[in-house]
Amino acid sequence: MINILLSAFRMSLPTLFATIGGYFSEKSGVAQIGLEAFLLTGAFTAASVAYGTHSMGLGYLSAGIMAVLIAQIFCYLVLVVGANSIVIGTGLNLFVLGVIPLVSKSLFQSTGSTPAIETNEFALAMTFLIFLVAVIFSYWLSEKTLWGLQMKFAGEKKEALKATGISALQRQWQAISFGAFITGLGGATLSTFLASSYSPQMSAGRGFIALAAVIFSGWNLPRALIVSLVFGLCEALQIQVQTNPEISAKIPGEFIQMIPYLVTLIALLFFKSKNQAPQEIA
Amino acid sequence: MWNKFKNFLPPWMGLLFGLVLCCLITPFFSEQPWHVFKVLVSSAFQSKYDFGLTLYYVTCLIFTGLSFAIPLRAGLFHIGSEGQLTLSAMVAACLAATSFFKIDSVFMNISFVFLITLISGAFAALIIALFKYFRGSHEVVIAIMLNFIFSALSLWVTVNYFQNPNSQNPESALIPENLQIFINDPLKIYFEKSPVSLFFVFAVVCCLILFLIERKTTWLQKINAYGKNRHASRRHGFSELQILMTAMGLAGFFSACAALTEIFGNSMQYKIGFSPMFGFLGIAVSLLARQNFLGILFSAFLMAALHKGASDLDLETQYLTRDFSKVLQAVIIFSVAGSYYAFNYFSKKRNKS
Repeated sequence: MINILLSAFRMSLPTLFATIGGYFSEKSGVAQIGLEAFLLTGAFTAASVAYGTHSMGLGYLSAGIMAVLIAQIFCYLVLVVGANSIVIGTGLNLFVLGVIPLVSKSLFQSTGSTPAIETNEFALAMTFLIFLVAVIFSYWLSEKTLWGLQMKFAGEKKEALKATGISALQRQWQAISFGAFITGLGGATLSTFLASSYSPQMSAGRGFIALAAVIFSGWNLPRALIVSLVFGLCEALQIQVQTNPEISAKIPGEFIQMIPYLVTLIALLFFKSKNQAPQEIA
Repeated sequence: MWNKFKNFLPPWMGLLFGLVLCCLITPFFSEQPWHVFKVLVSSAFQSKYDFGLTLYYVTCLIFTGLSFAIPLRAGLFHIGSEGQLTLSAMVAACLAATSFFKIDSVFMNISFVFLITLISGAFAALIIALFKYFRGSHEVVIAIMLNFIFSALSLWVTVNYFQNPNSQNPESALIPENLQIFINDPLKIYFEKSPVSLFFVFAVVCCLILFLIERKTTWLQKINAYGKNRHASRRHGFSELQILMTAMGLAGFFSACAALTEIFGNSMQYKIGFSPMFGFLGIAVSLLARQNFLGILFSAFLMAALHKGASDLDLETQYLTRDFSKVLQAVIIFSVAGSYYAFNYFSKKRNKS
């Protein structure tokens, strides 16, 4: 049982990072379906940089920075141009899906995986440390600081924030960029912690699951993280079941793969959060 | 005159800008922009077969473009077309391959298969509408979850029950020869047995019919009105559930049409992963046309030609691959979105002067 729980935590790390990223963007009033793009960008950048520099720390840092750079396209088009965030988020996912194989071909002569990287115990411990810092810092930033309050007001009532002389656009821009940085770190855990290289589309919908967790939790950060852990538990169970020949003979693998998505739908069907979406999204 | 241009020029200028931008980034991948541009725009017209293949893409993109455009008129962002397309393709291929309806008449057999396929597509889309109406769930989240579920479900059904015994690839068995009624249709023969079929004509007719319905009846206008102002349409007595069901039902119907185009018009079987993201490319098609049903015909043709060109980059260039197609679609989406801002900016300047 403890093994499953530990495995659940391990498996849900990328989703937990993406959940924090999604929370900041959504809470500031911008619907975010580009989390998948940030995860993939982070995963590819971390694997490439860690391979090139033999430094896991640099890999993580560059993953976050590259995700922030990609997020600037989203910020500019959504916040300045006024384009719809769902459309631009979909475009961003397509963009990253197309760009990574091209860059990979130029760098490694392969449109598939990056070369394998070396991992050690310190690197693995560092991942947990980064996660811990990310969670505590994000909670503090969102709940205990003036910036967090202003960010939430940007999502609830832009005009009220403007009346106090603070730019809502600036807060939204900062929130999306911060969210992208954290999600980029989540991407890095995919390719350096859960695997030892980048492989195509390795995020496998975790960005969408993270978004579902944020919405399902009623845009509440601690609850969203718990929901993500539940999804992680489903994933861990899925692996346990798939590796068990007796059970996998009875339940097809494709059904097991569906579990996290089915759980989300069932949860949305039976439980309705009392919290409303930030007004600027709704 | 300016006002007419103001409505339709921005997306096309955006498209041109996106295309140029894409070519300009190719030197970063050690390729010549002019060569890439030439491949992108000329690949569709190299031969009759190539043009037929482009028309096949056009057919699928018209259907998925309509599948995005109609719900968008009701204010719904429908990104579930890919899942509905996958599910419907599996249903069509499996029903036809096993001759599920034991009827001698080919016409009746085909009609039932088509009917069930279209119903399955519409039903898959209606799930989103029901979640939206009864639970207030965001349509995008539901659509994403359903996309994953339908993909896994189709894989399971095909591989476990309808796997092609003569192939190692995950694909259904071929549909019986007597049901392959589009294999020798006039369009296919004219375009040297390319994937195009009479479904192309049906797609064009669908656009024309929708255009006429919009002009001559209030049916689609209700959807438009609901999308523009929900509060006003509620006050006017429009049934919200009916509008959501109609918009999403039609969206699912057109996704299923794209599936039928592939199964009966092209491969005669369901191949896992056959769609190069037609469902998502439909978004770009619809945005480019500003949800105008006639505009979708032109934008689908343009996007199909570019998609065909990008697919050929594997052969024609050293470093660019067919993945460049996704970059192209994304940059076009970005540019089209940006073009409205640029035009509004210039319009304001023009009015001031």
